[in-house]
Amino acid sequence: MGLQVKDVVLELGDGDQKITALDHVSFGIAAGELLAVLGPSGAGKSSLLAVCGGLRHPTSGTVVIGDKELTAMHDSQLTRLRLKSIGFVFQQSNLISSLTSLDQLMLMVHLGGHRPTKADRDHAMSLLRSVDMAHRANRLPDQLSGGERQRIGIARALMTKPSLLLVDEPTSMLDRVRGRQIVELLSEQCHQHQVAAVMVTHDRSMLDAADRSLHIVDGRIQEAAVSATN
Amino acid sequence: MFLALRDLAFAKGRFLLMSMIIALVAFLMTLLSGLASGLIKNNISGLMALDVTHLAFEYNDRPNYRNSMVEREMWEGWRDAEGVLAVEPLGHTLFTARTPEGLPLDDVVLWGVEPGSFLEPEVTFGESLKGPDDGVIISALLANKHDVKLGDMIVLDRVLTKLTVIGITDEQNIGHVPVIYTPMRKWQEATYGPPGGPAPGESLPDILFDYASVIALKLTPDADIESVDIEWGTVTMDKQLAYEASLGYKEEVQTVQMIQGFMVVISALVIGAFFTIWTIQRTQEIGLVKALGGSSAYLLRDTMAQALILMLLAVGIGTFFAVWLGLSLEESGKPFMLVRDNIAGSSGLLIVAGLIGSMVSVRLIARIDPIIALGRTR
Ligand SMILES: Nc1ncnc2c1ncn2[C@@H]1O[C@H](COP(=O)(O)OP(=O)(O)OP(=O)(O)O)[C@@H](O)[C@H]1O
Ligand SMILES: [Mg+2]
Repeated sequence: MGLQVKDVVLELGDGDQKITALDHVSFGIAAGELLAVLGPSGAGKSSLLAVCGGLRHPTSGTVVIGDKELTAMHDSQLTRLRLKSIGFVFQQSNLISSLTSLDQLMLMVHLGGHRPTKADRDHAMSLLRSVDMAHRANRLPDQLSGGERQRIGIARALMTKPSLLLVDEPTSMLDRVRGRQIVELLSEQCHQHQVAAVMVTHDRSMLDAADRSLHIVDGRIQEAAVSATN
Repeated sequence: MFLALRDLAFAKGRFLLMSMIIALVAFLMTLLSGLASGLIKNNISGLMALDVTHLAFEYNDRPNYRNSMVEREMWEGWRDAEGVLAVEPLGHTLFTARTPEGLPLDDVVLWGVEPGSFLEPEVTFGESLKGPDDGVIISALLANKHDVKLGDMIVLDRVLTKLTVIGITDEQNIGHVPVIYTPMRKWQEATYGPPGGPAPGESLPDILFDYASVIALKLTPDADIESVDIEWGTVTMDKQLAYEASLGYKEEVQTVQMIQGFMVVISALVIGAFFTIWTIQRTQEIGLVKALGGSSAYLLRDTMAQALILMLLAVGIGTFFAVWLGLSLEESGKPFMLVRDNIAGSSGLLIVAGLIGSMVSVRLIARIDPIIALGRTR
């Protein structure tokens, strides 16, 4: 299980505007491992998540999640893979404004084309409890604080029991204490559910919550900076 | 359906406003449909009631009920043709009429029919036609509008022919004018004879009685209409075409249909505009759902379901109120008639138009790239 990224190149734009957002990037993470990705703005961090999540086709190189090779897949196969195997946590909480906290999670069942069962509901409630949001299960997003929304986002990402969690700057909208709580929650969830996780962040102080970290500058991994944080 | 229903509940105001517009359009569509049926009934109910398959007119490039005159040899000729089940001459003359006291009864159409023939209508009151001097059957429109009763006398202007009402049938009009079913001989007298009838002691020349306006036909499908037409100098139309030979019928039906057509197009456009804006507003969330693993097909189904719910509810409400108003219009005797199939048809058309309109969002939804979910700010 886990994620294997090999020699990925991603070119964006065309003509004079063409830039290499990812330049021969390779790394791997195992199930239950949280990898922090750091780097300055424009370094290619979001691009890396997009490629790992099947939202962008890399120009070359391979991405393998579990035993599935993403680069060989059509868009519709990628969509199904995202639903089944990948959990996204976005920079902004990115919740759907018409759904209550519980329904944000239940949506994932509907997207899979199933009628939710009691077991699905119980699973959703237990996830809400694990992010300490059970008491807000029936609230709409605009009745929640930024940190609360981020926690719902994490619970939603875990709803389909994914094998890979992709997290884009989960703390940028939060103060330091809240941010810290979110990252700790992520690390705890990822260990508990044995999920491989990639977390992009700006904030070096979050590094100790991760198992490993990786620095990107101008689309390239800074070799020296690949390190184990603990 | 999950998202569709939650969105409907969440954006109540917007959807309510939209359904009000659609409901109003449906309301107008139903009223128009009632008006169309009412106009048709008011115009040609007499023709519709005739138990014929075809009508033969005197040959003319624009045949109608007023410029056609057929002779006895024509209808007898038709009688001998193949595939002809029944043939009767029919007289048609427009008169203005009065009561014996001189009160106006406005326009009436005298239809001359052979008493006892298949052209004679069923009476709702009174009795059927007998001899030429025994009386006439009038359309309910004349009876209701001018309070003409059984036994009353009607005097035709100009020719001063006196008619006695012996029967009243349903509303049977042509060109919006009530029909008076008159025995053929009486009709020929009134149409071709001198004012006031023959001088005392004299009788009218026989030749008067060899003419009528059109030939009413019951034909089998294999009748060779064309060659009989050529042989006898007639031009034969099936019943539907014969409707159009009635004054104003074609224009009225076309006008109403044109208005209905415009309304269908307008609803499709309004719904299209609404769902376009609605989809654009939701671009971020649609991208998010796609990033989470929702397929375009799921989102499209959802949107179509939303449109269908909106249309069904709004059209239902609009039609309900129109029928409610229509019933009272019908009762007040206005040219208005609720015909279930027509109303269902126009409402159905509206719903289809709405769904077609909502399909503009199909392309928009399909084009949204899930990558926007990773965007920093929206
Ligand atoms: N659609 C695009 N077309 C062309 N260039 C793009 C496109 N998207 C991103 N880029 C460029 O690719 C580079 C990497 O972008 P990316 O969003 O991955 O950076 P990032 O590391 O996530 O930055 P930030 O920390 O600001 O979010 C940037 O230089 C950006 O301008
Ligand atoms: Mg970024």
